[in-house]
Amino acid sequence: MSVGGALASLRHFAPPLSDDPVALLARAERRVARERAARLEAEAIAEQGLRRLYDSQQRLLLLQRITDGANQTTDTHTALRVAVTEICRQMDWAFGNALLVTNGGSAVAGCGVWYASDPEAVFSFAEASRSVQFDAGVGLPGRILTDVRPHWVDNVTLDPNFPRRDVAVRCGLAAACAFPVMVGDDVAGVLEFFARRLIIPDDDLLGILGQIGTQLGRVIERDRARRGLIHDALHDAMTRLPNRTLFMQRATNAFARIMADDQRCMAVIVVDLDGFKAVNDSFGHQAGDALLIDVARRMEASIAAAEAAAIRHGASWRATLARVGGDEFNILLDDIDDSDAIRRLASTIHQCLTAPSVLGGTHVRCQASIGIAFSDDHYSDVEQMLRDADLAMYRAKSQGRGRTVTFTEQLGVEVRLRTHVEQELRQAIAERQFVLHYQPIVSMDAPDEVCGFEALIRWNHPTRGLLLPIEFITIAEETGLILFIGDWVLREACAQAAAWHLRTGGMSMPFVSINISPQQFLQPEFVERVHVVLMETGIAPASVRLEVTEGAAIMDPVRTASILEEIRRWGVKTSLDDFGTGFSSLSYLQSMPFDALKIDRSFVAAMSADGKSRGIVQAILDLAKTMDMTVIAEGIETIEQEELLQRMGCTMGQGFRYGRAENDADAFRRFGVC
Amino acid sequence: MKGVVFNLLEQAVTDAHGDDTWIDLLEEADVGGAYTSLGSYPDSEMIALVGAAANKLDLQAADVLRWFGRAAMPLLAERYHPFFVGHVSARSFVLSVNDIIHPEVRKLYSGAGCPHFHFSQDADQRLVIGYQSPRQMCHLAHGFVEGAADHYRESVAIEHLSCMLEGDALCRLAVRWLP
Repeated sequence: MSVGGALASLRHFAPPLSDDPVALLARAERRVARERAARLEAEAIAEQGLRRLYDSQQRLLLLQRITDGANQTTDTHTALRVAVTEICRQMDWAFGNALLVTNGGSAVAGCGVWYASDPEAVFSFAEASRSVQFDAGVGLPGRILTDVRPHWVDNVTLDPNFPRRDVAVRCGLAAACAFPVMVGDDVAGVLEFFARRLIIPDDDLLGILGQIGTQLGRVIERDRARRGLIHDALHDAMTRLPNRTLFMQRATNAFARIMADDQRCMAVIVVDLDGFKAVNDSFGHQAGDALLIDVARRMEASIAAAEAAAIRHGASWRATLARVGGDEFNILLDDIDDSDAIRRLASTIHQCLTAPSVLGGTHVRCQASIGIAFSDDHYSDVEQMLRDADLAMYRAKSQGRGRTVTFTEQLGVEVRLRTHVEQELRQAIAERQFVLHYQPIVSMDAPDEVCGFEALIRWNHPTRGLLLPIEFITIAEETGLILFIGDWVLREACAQAAAWHLRTGGMSMPFVSINISPQQFLQPEFVERVHVVLMETGIAPASVRLEVTEGAAIMDPVRTASILEEIRRWGVKTSLDDFGTGFSSLSYLQSMPFDALKIDRSFVAAMSADGKSRGIVQAILDLAKTMDMTVIAEGIETIEQEELLQRMGCTMGQGFRYGRAENDADAFRRFGVC
Repeated sequence: MKGVVFNLLEQAVTDAHGDDTWIDLLEEADVGGAYTSLGSYPDSEMIALVGAAANKLDLQAADVLRWFGRAAMPLLAERYHPFFVGHVSARSFVLSVNDIIHPEVRKLYSGAGCPHFHFSQDADQRLVIGYQSPRQMCHLAHGFVEGAADHYRESVAIEHLSCMLEGDALCRLAVRWLP
């Protein structure tokens, strides 16, 4: 049938309109009923749509509020709190709780962020949830961690995997849902919610919760990055210990607390490794780094053990170990009540370093020098305390390896004095405040004849007058200034002797004996320095005697031997100073070509009364004779000593019997006139 | 006033008295009469309808409102069943009005002005419902409470402790559950 045909048949289908009013009315009423039914259905559809729209808008607003909250903070807990609260309010859920991953991602734990619409009603459940921990797969949060997707529990009281069931029942909680907070592909946290009635999941809600999880994940990511940056800025990358910045922050805070409270005390400890540079030089920087890490771990462990022991005994001090420099560590001890405990801690640190570290199969033992400073009324800031602990550490270092020194006022006075003298010494070098005095050395055969002089330094101090070496040489050696002073002495003595020789026209050529300090002798360019001085002053090398102490000579016997040989080739003489007081070993004496031995004044002084000393002097003389060396006896004061030494065959002598050290003009008069 | 209230009145009147009565009322009250649940209509139209009914029945407007409230409750139960489940008594149902029913109403009609009820309990263990509305329809509320009691097969006695229609600042209904 064609379409036209069908339409034509429809025309026939339309019944003839009745003119019966009852039928017409009934027809109109049926139409009204249908219209009403259609209206009601339309209203129902519209209402349903409006409800959905409303819910959807509310959820978008919820997401908006949580996103705003998340954007306004860098703190994970704040963002989680906003989310948990808003979700509970929006969804009319009774309790919400946030958990964060822990144990390297194998568990989640409550982080103290929760919301309850009626806190009193769910108090015990909140208590059971706020810091609870679930391993992966355990309980509702553990399931999220394992499955990485939202979970719904219609009735927690019937759920076999719900450890908090009993307390949930007591609080009237029935249904639960939870969803993950994601950072990338990893679960960073879980939000869980509980309601008194059924929670019906729908796709829309799941979508919103997923987006909330992502937003919160971004906050966690930002928070982690921020914490990471702060951590990196405040910690040493190698040992992971606090660095100087963090140490100073904590030390400054601790100091502020003791300033505010008279009863509180604190201490700072400076730990400096002994011989670390040698490890670095011998084994390389990598080994050095490994050693530092090992040492840091050991110290950390021993400090932690000491802290724990202190807590057991009722003390409450806290320690911060920091790496503040290459091989330097600081320890802050806050709120201490027992200074002995701190000294014991220092011993513990020494002990923990006794066992050697194994670096690439080699055993390396590293010790430390420790300086301690305790808080005290006279400190006005923590930097002063640290300076004093540093001074104590340097004092400990000067006493040898593995020592501890506690700063005292006495030490402070000494150090300040020393610092003052050091400054004056620098000024003295710049302003040429030193002078040389010359003590005559005579031949024992003819004691009236001066054959040479020992050049002795004096400091013409602007306020204290003429100072003897004993008052400043130690400081000069410790500060390294001895190199400048020694150099000046060498040049000045040679120049003076050359001038004398010139004045006598070569008629009298007394030698000049010059003390060489160990540091000077050990300088790589020592030989070169001597050569330059000889050239510049024009002194006859044979009238120069260089006195070297045993200590300096045996530091590196091979090198000493080669220096002596070199110098002797030019004709310069060498003496071994203070012989008998040090090692006085025959084996090294044999390998080192000294021209002369100087017998220390202590043997000479004891010789008359003491047969033993006389025996030693005789032995030295015999030894020198065997080795074809000259002997110069020091400190001859009496005629008895002179006669004795003459009889024993001593070659030369010096002492008050022949003259004290005197200025160059007086010294010149001794030989210039003869 | 929301169209749904007019729809409920229409249904209550029609169920009780037939279609024609409703049409009579509309014409008597001289109101538009085309009401959809999605729309809002002037309060005056409801007052006019109630007035017309009172006139016709020779009753007080208050009586008509009470009747309407009570008669509307089964219709509401049919139309909004989820609000009624979960309650075992009229008391808990009435108490849920502010927190559950009104929010739902607002979902449908943004800006719907729902009356807020203040609930308390007096010395005689009566539930006191405080009510303040510019519409002054405390008798409709009265009827709703009675209807709710009917729904949960309870009976109540209601006393108007104060009434805005009497010049009081607010209406207070005391509801006693009868054994």
